[in-house]
Amino acid sequence: MREVLNAEWLKAWSGRTWWIMGALGVFLGLLGSSGAAAVADQQIDSGATDAAAATAELIRSWFSVLLASVLFGALFVSREYNTGAISRSVLLCGSRTRLLAAKTIVGTAMGLVFALLAAVLAPLSLWGFFTLFGMDVQWSGEATLTLLGVLTVVTLAVPWGVLLGWIIRNQAASVTIVLVVTLFVDETLFRVLPAVGKFTMGIAMGAVYRDAKPEMLSIPLALLVIAGWLVLAGWTARRLLVTRDVK
Amino acid sequence: MSDTAAVSVRGLTKRFGEVTAVEDVTFEVRPGRIVGLLGRNGAGKTTSLRMLLGLSRPSSGTATVFGRPYADLPDAARRVGVSMDGIAPMPGTSGRRDLRIWARMLGLPATRVDEVLDKVGLTGSADRKIKGYSTGMRQRHALAVALLADPELLVLDEPANGLDPDGIRWLRTFLRSLADEGRTILLSSHLLSEVEQTVDDVVILQRTLRYSGPISELVPGSGTSLEERFFELVGTEAERHVDA
Repeated sequence: MREVLNAEWLKAWSGRTWWIMGALGVFLGLLGSSGAAAVADQQIDSGATDAAAATAELIRSWFSVLLASVLFGALFVSREYNTGAISRSVLLCGSRTRLLAAKTIVGTAMGLVFALLAAVLAPLSLWGFFTLFGMDVQWSGEATLTLLGVLTVVTLAVPWGVLLGWIIRNQAASVTIVLVVTLFVDETLFRVLPAVGKFTMGIAMGAVYRDAKPEMLSIPLALLVIAGWLVLAGWTARRLLVTRDVK
Repeated sequence: MSDTAAVSVRGLTKRFGEVTAVEDVTFEVRPGRIVGLLGRNGAGKTTSLRMLLGLSRPSSGTATVFGRPYADLPDAARRVGVSMDGIAPMPGTSGRRDLRIWARMLGLPATRVDEVLDKVGLTGSADRKIKGYSTGMRQRHALAVALLADPELLVLDEPANGLDPDGIRWLRTFLRSLADEGRTILLSSHLLSEVEQTVDDVVILQRTLRYSGPISELVPGSGTSLEERFFELVGTEAERHVDA
């Protein structure tokens, strides 16, 4: 298993996917945090929020890195299907289950790398944008919990993407499905049927980074829902991998 | 090296829905031989090799490597080297990086990468992106990956495709040198004249098995060529259309 993990780690850092998704994550984080700072500036002036809440809100805006994370995970698997390299991976890894496990573990490690990036850049952007708008940073327990929540979902988004990649097995389809589900399906379902929508992966992740929407799950329950989705996706991915032909 | 057949295929059949790609194929590859798996495009060569390697599940029949299915063979990745049509390198990698990935998966030291690069004559191009390689260089790279673990058996799918005359001559000499080291080589090809000069045994497929045995028995005299015998066994294109 150690050899397969070593090889997968080297694969993760090979090609352009890691830095393109890293750059996308930084872009989305900066875009979100600049918007959050602009809104906070207006709301503080009007008395609709205070510095502590605005600080936590800007930290929360870095949740958008999870989109880059989940895309990285999906591409980490599906790009091998697109080139046919997956056949060599299957031939050399010893067993298909071992390969799936190694990719999921390495995907989670890459999720930690993305989370580390967010952990460094979120406070830096907070300081930069608040200074730019002439606002005071007021770090609170809420900001700390929000940052921990963001780091958790950014980390877990990669194995989620990895398992989706194993199930979908096509690069273009996996990117499309990840984008549609993350940006459209989960949110829409939550708006139309909140009692059902709150159990989707995206909305459960929202609860973990303390998104202040009504009817959200509690954090422990949201973490359980996320674990449930990961287990279900892992079971489905393994079943498909061991029973289908590798093309 | 044991007397167990390096490759044994028994009644192998693969159906894709209504289409039967391979039907009831049986043959063996003896250790230390170079065996050519011949057939037209679409004859079932790659499908048979994929079933042999466990990438594809047979509809019926069995295919074993050193007496066991590939998935159950201990240390299979080190005993069997594979270069298959349709298995590309890791995207965006240089030749050296791609080899390093697979060497790590096999638990081999990085020095082994340099050895196989030297063996296939790609040392000077190893740090270039594979995307920029010529077809011949890609074939050599695929051979280098197959040779990483110093395997007993090489399964090569269309290794001569895209090679220029120099490359084909190099491949012929190279394969012979590998066989002289005691390795078994099963190579698929539709380049008959090339195979005729390289292999010890031939297996001819056209969905079903048409011949399996020594090339010396198939092409016994100087007056007959492998090409003539091949078309006698599988029929010409015109005959195929009449049959259809």
